Amino acid sequence: MGQDRESDTLARTDPYGLRLGVDLSRPLISVLNDRYTGIEIVGDFRIRDRLYLAAEIGNEEKGQDEILGDEEVGPFTSLYDFTTSGSYIKAGVNYNTYQNWYGMNNVIYIGGRYAFSTFSQTLNSYSYYNSNRYWDPDSFVVGSEASQEFEGLNASWIELVVGMNAELFGNFYMGLSTRLGYRITNKDADTFPNLWIPGFNKVTDGSKFGVSFNYTLSYFLPIYKKPKAQATPSDPEP
Amino acid sequence: MLLLLTPFSGCEKDDICVEGDTPLMIVRFYDASDPEVFKQVDGLRIIGIGNGSPVDTFSDRTSTDSIGLPLRLDSNVSAFTFILNSADDNGMEAGNMDTLNFQYDIGPRFISRACGYIGVYQDLGSTLTQDSENWIQSIEITNPIVQSTDSVHVKIFH
Repeated sequence: MGQDRESDTLARTDPYGLRLGVDLSRPLISVLNDRYTGIEIVGDFRIRDRLYLAAEIGNEEKGQDEILGDEEVGPFTSLYDFTTSGSYIKAGVNYNTYQNWYGMNNVIYIGGRYAFSTFSQTLNSYSYYNSNRYWDPDSFVVGSEASQEFEGLNASWIELVVGMNAELFGNFYMGLSTRLGYRITNKDADTFPNLWIPGFNKVTDGSKFGVSFNYTLSYFLPIYKKPKAQATPSDPEP
Repeated sequence: MLLLLTPFSGCEKDDICVEGDTPLMIVRFYDASDPEVFKQVDGLRIIGIGNGSPVDTFSDRTSTDSIGLPLRLDSNVSAFTFILNSADDNGMEAGNMDTLNFQYDIGPRFISRACGYIGVYQDLGSTLTQDSENWIQSIEITNPIVQSTDSVHVKIFH
């Protein structure tokens, strides 16, 4: 065994190929929340020893209402109720920070994405916020219960991604990532701002940041092999 | 690493509305004989017709030359009884009662995530019901759009 080490090392190769998967969290949330449906397809392609091209595409629809007051403590009322529906694409790179043992192809990465979403928002109903209770002591006056759709909305953002892909068995990978988005562009309707963006998640007042995550199951399709990059002490660390 | 990967929530701004509110209509009282000069109304009480209680935005039956009035959001008309020298006389109102109607259109304006929409009143108009002894001489709408309480919307001369 010992004598063969030199030739073993030369023969070592890494598989390169396409990893395609689906986010499991969005279908799960779709089951748990009857006003949400979502799906996300993920993929990456290894181009260098540690570098992967990576992308996600998805479609999400989420209905929500803004409640005033505490359901348990006091009177509460719906201020407005809206539904956001649209698609997004994210593309960028992942850089693998994890040094695998030979034969393993796990990834713990940091990455970056450029993301773009097109969507519509439908204002389902709203009431007038009014702290003066003289005319309406018990509730807010309903402004409209007729749906009003705002179409042609879009937003773009960059994303910092931290995640991992670990092989479960036979080229199946479990993946996990969290993302911090920073909005660059935001096209909204004049009378109703973008409060939630597919792929970006909740938009917070006065902030350009958004937080999202996924939890994926992927299959790795090997396409070709390349000699394993040698990590010798003389190699400059990237 | 795992800590980093844990989705973080709970770092959101408190969902308390502080950014805006449906405005009151600002009314100031002027001297009918000297229209540049404020003139207090003594013992002022204002009752919304259809409500019956004194308006709660100023101290009832005090002397004042400046008030904010809540307008109805469920109707394009708000009617009030303006009472000068309001006092009880064996359960009857002893003061001089004038009836004022305010007409307007209501439009929504989105303020913030926590506040949602407020009502903005436009094309404000007023009608004084004439009676035998009106204490109100005339009314002037100085700003027909009620969107904030920063400016005077109605001048009442008496």
